[in-house]
Amino acid sequence: MDLIFLALSLYKKRQFEECVKTCTELLDKNPFDQAVWVLKMKALTEQLYVDDLEAEEEGIAEAFMDNETIAESARPGTSLKNPGTSQGGSTQGYRPWTQTGRPVSGVVRPGTQTARPGTMEQALRTPRTSKTARPSTSQSARTIRLGTASMLSEPGGPFIQLSRINLGNYAAKPSLAKPLFLYILYHENSIRHALQLAVLATQACEFKDWWWKVQLGKCYYSLGLMREAEQQFRSALRQHQCIETFLRLGRVYIRLDQPLSALDVCRTGLEYFPKEITLLTEIARIFEGLNNMTMSVKYYREIVTEDSTNVEAIACIGMHHFYTDQPEMALRFYRRLLQMGLYNAELFNNLGLCCFYAQQYDMTLSCFQHALSLAKEDDVADIWYNIGLIAIGVGDTRLAGQCLRLAISADSSHAPAYNNLGVLELRRGRVNEARAFFQAAASLAPYLFEPYFNHAALSNKLGDLQASYIVIQKSLEAYPSHIPSQELLHALEKHFTFI
Amino acid sequence: MAVPVFTLQLNHKLLPGRVTIGKYDGSHSCLTAATTADKVLIHSPHRRLGTTSQMSGAATWSQVNKEISLLSVNRNVSALCAGRLHPDLEQDILVVGTPSSVLAYNVENNKDLFYKEVADGANIIVVGHLSGYENPLALVGGNCSIQGFDYKGNDPYWTVSGDNVRSLALLDYDLDGENELIVGSDDFDLRVFKEDVMVGETSETEVATILAPLRGSKMAYALANGTVGVYNKLHRVWRVKSKNRAVSVLSYDIDGDGVEELVTGWSNGKVDARNSRTGEVVFKDNFNNSVAGLADGDYRLEGRSQLICCSVDGEVRGYDSSRLGSLMEGNAHQDAVRDLLQKKQALLMELRNYESNTRSSSGAAQTNMNAGMIPAKTSLQTTVSINMGNKSKGPHVELCLTTNNETIIRAVLVFAEGIFAGETHVVHPRDEELTSSLKVALFPPRDVPLDIHIKALVGLPRTEQFHVFELTRHLPRFSMYNLISASAPLPEELPQNFVSFFISERIQRVVLWINQNFLLSSELEPESGGGSLSLSFSALRDGSLLSISMHPAGRMAIATSNMTLAGDLVQSLASFLNLSNLQVTAEFPDELAHLGEWLEKVANLQEVRIQLGADLAHRAGLIRNLIVRAEDARLLPDLTSMREWHTQLLEVNDDLINSYNIRCSNHNELLEILKQINLTIQKAARLRVGQNKADVVNLSRSALQSNNLHSLLKIVRTGEA
Repeated sequence: MDLIFLALSLYKKRQFEECVKTCTELLDKNPFDQAVWVLKMKALTEQLYVDDLEAEEEGIAEAFMDNETIAESARPGTSLKNPGTSQGGSTQGYRPWTQTGRPVSGVVRPGTQTARPGTMEQALRTPRTSKTARPSTSQSARTIRLGTASMLSEPGGPFIQLSRINLGNYAAKPSLAKPLFLYILYHENSIRHALQLAVLATQACEFKDWWWKVQLGKCYYSLGLMREAEQQFRSALRQHQCIETFLRLGRVYIRLDQPLSALDVCRTGLEYFPKEITLLTEIARIFEGLNNMTMSVKYYREIVTEDSTNVEAIACIGMHHFYTDQPEMALRFYRRLLQMGLYNAELFNNLGLCCFYAQQYDMTLSCFQHALSLAKEDDVADIWYNIGLIAIGVGDTRLAGQCLRLAISADSSHAPAYNNLGVLELRRGRVNEARAFFQAAASLAPYLFEPYFNHAALSNKLGDLQASYIVIQKSLEAYPSHIPSQELLHALEKHFTFI
Repeated sequence: MAVPVFTLQLNHKLLPGRVTIGKYDGSHSCLTAATTADKVLIHSPHRRLGTTSQMSGAATWSQVNKEISLLSVNRNVSALCAGRLHPDLEQDILVVGTPSSVLAYNVENNKDLFYKEVADGANIIVVGHLSGYENPLALVGGNCSIQGFDYKGNDPYWTVSGDNVRSLALLDYDLDGENELIVGSDDFDLRVFKEDVMVGETSETEVATILAPLRGSKMAYALANGTVGVYNKLHRVWRVKSKNRAVSVLSYDIDGDGVEELVTGWSNGKVDARNSRTGEVVFKDNFNNSVAGLADGDYRLEGRSQLICCSVDGEVRGYDSSRLGSLMEGNAHQDAVRDLLQKKQALLMELRNYESNTRSSSGAAQTNMNAGMIPAKTSLQTTVSINMGNKSKGPHVELCLTTNNETIIRAVLVFAEGIFAGETHVVHPRDEELTSSLKVALFPPRDVPLDIHIKALVGLPRTEQFHVFELTRHLPRFSMYNLISASAPLPEELPQNFVSFFISERIQRVVLWINQNFLLSSELEPESGGGSLSLSFSALRDGSLLSISMHPAGRMAIATSNMTLAGDLVQSLASFLNLSNLQVTAEFPDELAHLGEWLEKVANLQEVRIQLGADLAHRAGLIRNLIVRAEDARLLPDLTSMREWHTQLLEVNDDLINSYNIRCSNHNELLEILKQINLTIQKAARLRVGQNKADVVNLSRSALQSNNLHSLLKIVRTGEA
């Protein structure tokens, strides 16, 4: 068989390694065969190509040394930084928060886990307590997690020596320049070279090719030059409307912490591409980030009417129903996911909880049994914690205590488990143990208000008013509109003024 | 001294001149100022008052500092303005200018309207309606150019000005119900633009740093040398000069009489309000530091606005008419008494003088030498002529003063705007050199018509008392050009640099214009026959040649290598002949050659700029990464690797600073060249009149945007694309 044909066929069959091997053979024979050269480049790129929109993650460095954000303290509901202040959104009272200070989301995405703690020190310390680590910069996030070739060593030296290549020669030839650009960006991960090539190429086509503008914007975005990226994307959108460009422009605004601008961009996109799933998803996610669950669910519903197998939308709607006291509705959505073939611990865990709250007790335990049998190391703690919760619900404190201890043994930094254990110990009258558990929970998860409140209430009962006063303030910091905390604080203040 | 109705401390250092006030939510005024830390501070007092707080209960205790919010701009804020830029929104939009960009920002919704790179920088921004444009515009004055952006970020308005723009004001100049744009620039000129046509121009003695609209067609202005005054259209109503510099000028009715006063904030911390008709001070107060800005807005939610003054150290005081009234009345009595006392003094002095005079004249006629009497017939003659100069003194305009008898001129004070460093020039020869004539050399730096006010002290030799002669002489616009020959034959070939055009006017009218605008030893006689006109002048400043020729058929040519001069001549001639439109053909090969060079340079510089920008961003990314790692190592107490990271950090940092410096110089070079290009376009526009002038600017702009050198050259040459 003709080797070129073979290589092409392998490329189409997505057998990239074989394809690269064949191309290398061909190039050994004739090093100047441009077609083969491009094919090898494309195969190498495809091997390492990632959806950089979905896999995007903000690094610690960006979160703390980011200087593009304009408003330092924006009005509530206009910034992603302080979701807790949004008006009319859900609060910790009935929807628990993740360590990021955001309500838990229906699905785990990069970004739903990242925290915005006060200082870099906190940010660096936080990952050590849990199993998730945070990249130091978003650039390194992709390179380390997904391992581009720049981190791997290649036998016989790299395919293309970027420092030796004359980019100007290739820029004028679109058929060569575009694959070369993607290769440099995804395979070599050398943004500077990619940018250089893109600048030359866009000049060569007299700024008429929108594709190059989008690529330029991508380069600027990864370099952190948001304003330049914005200009490129906008200019590209004027020439040609493309979903990807809308999404990328939206991301620029999210990085600038202007969620309303991002929403506008996505809505403009929807005018060109009505009911487009990715755009709708982006909008729903932004609303979720703004803690505007009603709007978020509205868009997720729109997605489901278009694409009835969209896991993210179904899971998020299910979650919303669960936390708005409609476990039966939530159950239907989670069953739908099960029907679609999803079969994992998290789903069974959620199903179990829904069954319990929908009073279908016979199903509850079997769901949790399934969950436990499917659970990986990361989830075990959460499942035991939930079983503990159900045990408390049915009044079996002994079982509950055991489950919570199992949860802690699986994940020694599981703060809610510590808190619940504390409450159980308190019921058994062991005050000192209870206080120790509350303190442990609070030090592990300063974003939770429950340990603080429990601790304050306990101290108040024991007569340690000073400690109670200090701790209750922390509780209100975590959850400003928590009525029992406010009442306790008022009572204490009144008491102190009498003295 | 007035008592403020409120004072507060922002605890931020503010930049002078960059203070504005906006209603970002549509109803509450928020003081907005640029801080020295490259941030924009927004002070929202209503947040403390709890009018918008929907937070319940105890949540408010942690919101003490909510009053002040900061916006990070991260670049030096060079201009700041809030205004209703979006036609459909009831909210004010904040427009922030930096040396390289303009950002329009919706504060309420934390949303950009647009962000634009402006190569010419943003020295000053105003927001408002401009005649001929439906939507409000944010007008941005940069280096030699003015751009107007609408809320979508499009720039429908663009024009060039003679030099770097320092101040802008929107004012209904011709009282037609629509705003015109008034521009003050570094070449000391004030220009009035209606749409993109210049409808008025006047010259000041210094850069106009601030322009502020008053009621009707009145406008307040402040110059860099400390002058503050009021113009009505382009006629100056009054002005005062101070040794301090005005930082901010605002019109506000401080005494509650229904007429706005002119409030000025000075660099020494003084704030005063003057009557806008007379310039009389009605109010003043002092800050410890320089004033940063003035604003008026309803800050106490009482339904009327207060005058709000900020100083650079963040102190804010608010005034209104309620406290002032009684205070000023008390002062008014004292002032009246003081005035009358002064008048009395003056009258007493005068009386004493008369008494001594009558005594001397009646007592002894022979001693009149001592008494300083001069003959009644004494008169002072002045002549203005051109002196080609000698070795010690270059060619100049000479003002010669002579008396008609034996009296001597003790000293001469010449007052003229813009010729001397301090507006006034005093000549007082040594005692032994006193004669009856005196010569003053004038070097007008620019071609503007001037009024010279002369005060001469004339008296008899060896007297103590002198008579003061006051007189005013007019210096024509083109006084620094000396007529060489009036009847040189028309050159067969035109010189290299010239403009030529047709006017349907008689030669006599042109001769009249020349007589009025040039300093000639004798007036030119218009030739009665159908002969042509040809004159050559030499410029006193650089000795270059200028020739003006006109055919009887109406073809006129001005040959000079100085494009600005040619423009001035054309403008002056056009206004003399009342031409509404004039198209010319211009040949300035030297200037045009430069233009080509510059455009090429700009392209190169911009390419390098992108590279440098990417380089910088890359290094900044590295630095962030290294800092996180170093911090990580510190938390782990791993001192060896911490030291390693910090060493690397130091190296990258040095690199970063180096590339930053390179970028800086690149940027400055780019700015300089862009300025030159804008200037050339401006000069080319000045060669034309009326609509043709506006066309040149607009066509040049589109040629620049498409980077079409060929068409740009054609536009400069012919005025058409």
